[in-house]
Amino acid sequence: MRFPKLGRVTLYILLIFFIFAFLLPLWTCITTSFKTLKGVIDTTPVEPPLGPLFRLPYPTMEPLITAFNIMKRSLLNSFTFTVAAMILSCLLGSINGYILTKITFKGSNTVFLFFTIGIFIPYQAVLVPLVLTMSKLGLYNHLGGLILTHTAYGIPITTLLFRNFYGLIPNSLIMAAKTDGAGTWTIYRRIVLPLSLPPFVVAAVFQFTSIWNDFLFGVVLTRGQNQPASVVLANLKGTTTVMWNLLMGGTLWYALPVLVIYLVLGKYLMRGYMAGAVKG
Amino acid sequence: MVSVTIKNLTKKYGETVAVKDLNLEIKDQEFFILLGPSGCGKTTTLLCIAGLLKPDEGEVWLGNELVSSSGRDMHVTPQKREVAMMFQDYAIYPHMTVFKNIAFPLEVRGKDKREIVERVTTTAKLLGISQLLDRKPKQLSGGQRQRVALGRAIVRKPRVFLLDEPLANLDAKLRVKTRTELKELQRKLGVTTVYVTHDQVEAMTMADRIIVQRDGVTEQIGTPDELYNRPANLFVAGFIGSPEMNFTDCTLIKDGKKLWLDAKEFKIPVPAEIVPKLESYVGEDVIMGIRPEDLYEREFVKEGTQKNAFRMTVDIIEHVGPYLLLYLRKGRLSLVARVKHTKAGVGQEASIEMDLSKIHLFDKKTTKAIL
Repeated sequence: MRFPKLGRVTLYILLIFFIFAFLLPLWTCITTSFKTLKGVIDTTPVEPPLGPLFRLPYPTMEPLITAFNIMKRSLLNSFTFTVAAMILSCLLGSINGYILTKITFKGSNTVFLFFTIGIFIPYQAVLVPLVLTMSKLGLYNHLGGLILTHTAYGIPITTLLFRNFYGLIPNSLIMAAKTDGAGTWTIYRRIVLPLSLPPFVVAAVFQFTSIWNDFLFGVVLTRGQNQPASVVLANLKGTTTVMWNLLMGGTLWYALPVLVIYLVLGKYLMRGYMAGAVKG
Repeated sequence: MVSVTIKNLTKKYGETVAVKDLNLEIKDQEFFILLGPSGCGKTTTLLCIAGLLKPDEGEVWLGNELVSSSGRDMHVTPQKREVAMMFQDYAIYPHMTVFKNIAFPLEVRGKDKREIVERVTTTAKLLGISQLLDRKPKQLSGGQRQRVALGRAIVRKPRVFLLDEPLANLDAKLRVKTRTELKELQRKLGVTTVYVTHDQVEAMTMADRIIVQRDGVTEQIGTPDELYNRPANLFVAGFIGSPEMNFTDCTLIKDGKKLWLDAKEFKIPVPAEIVPKLESYVGEDVIMGIRPEDLYEREFVKEGTQKNAFRMTVDIIEHVGPYLLLYLRKGRLSLVARVKHTKAGVGQEASIEMDLSKIHLFDKKTTKAIL
């Protein structure tokens, strides 16, 4: 497609404007987290703390260090249950997808329907029974409780994802493996699983982000030492005054793992998304 | 290496009947072909033998072992049947090397490493794919993939080979070559083979015996020779042979002691030896069939044996290398003749004779063969 020259210029101006609009919050988050509290008050959020040479306050590592010390326990908590629940929900979703597409049984469509309904259940709707169940199980205020909850909540969406991908694996492959003598599990382990890298990456990134970002389950199911980073971050705000530099420092720490995941898995992620569109 | 017996097999998909009341006896070491147009139930039959489908009714026997029975509600899983199946798309495992692909059935059976290496190597050598063992399926051509699939099937010495259109995805030249090789391989290995195809040339050239199926119903079972020379009905007569048999509506009329076939455009005497069989059809409409190669141009028929010629216009002449195809017309009647030479040009008339001993007659109502 060829734009006339003026149109192209307008397009670029527009795009650059949007880039600034999207990056502005991140930029202010970074600048603020390197300022002292006085610096936060004296300057606008957009100005970076470059020192007196630019008539700006000195930069400081203090907010980042303090925020890390407050949050390190909760970051570890978050990381533990997020990774565990991510792995579990991906594995279970993969097995579900395999069974639903390749070992179709009577009523498999109904089962799938119920899985899909699961996607649409709002967190708030299950809070009370969830807390009661977890305390009965002895998993209240326990990371295991969060792992179980997030795994269960992730299964519908991962199942849907894997089911769609496995729909692309030809049935003849499964039939060939059967006549070759492989049982249901061997077929899954030796044929289906090795072909599942693309959906695993997509599901893993999706699950990691949504579990890591969850606040509600965390705040309801845990307290004190066992709280996830999302809850501790919210508490950083303080009750009377907001220490913006500390809060922004904590936010940076909190955002880091998701950023790393996207950077590392980004190229696989694109491939995974493509696998749905064009037969891989 | 066993026989395969199918008794009263019926398989439905919802309301659609894919195979209806099929009875088959495939002999040990036989090369047996299921032939028919697409959707005739041949692949379904194959999947029932493999155990990948459970028949709704009937029984499947491998040798004297009952593997499927609706009556006793038993069904041996494909894993335990010791049959090998090869699929039209080859179904090669894309993430495994050629070696791993061929080794897979052995590994699943828990054979030891040394035996696996030995058997895979032997198989690869037999199929001429030794140099490909380290490659991934993506790096292979269609013909090579076909070989890998074949290797995976033969490496474990199955009791029966089930092949579902294994040559359909190859180009024409390779297909002809592979046809012969496959047939030779089957003879060498001596494994009972059930082969599905819609290609009648493939069926005629490879099979010991053929079953022709249509809409899930058996039309005829027989050797290639029987199907060609003694088709049981109109469908088989038309399906086997290329170009296909010429058909025309006729009335049988009696004139004194002689019987005549009257097709309006021509009238030919019925050979004396088959008259008795036709007595009951006198005055009735029948369909006459004659293969293109049983039509001749009068000029080339030996002097003295000429008879029953009728004149037809030549519409088209097709040169097919070793022979010519003449598309002939007279009134509503059109025929194809396969001849060696012709004197007539396009648009001219030619005198056509037919070999009366080669005519086929079919009952118009039942479409069954009378002769």
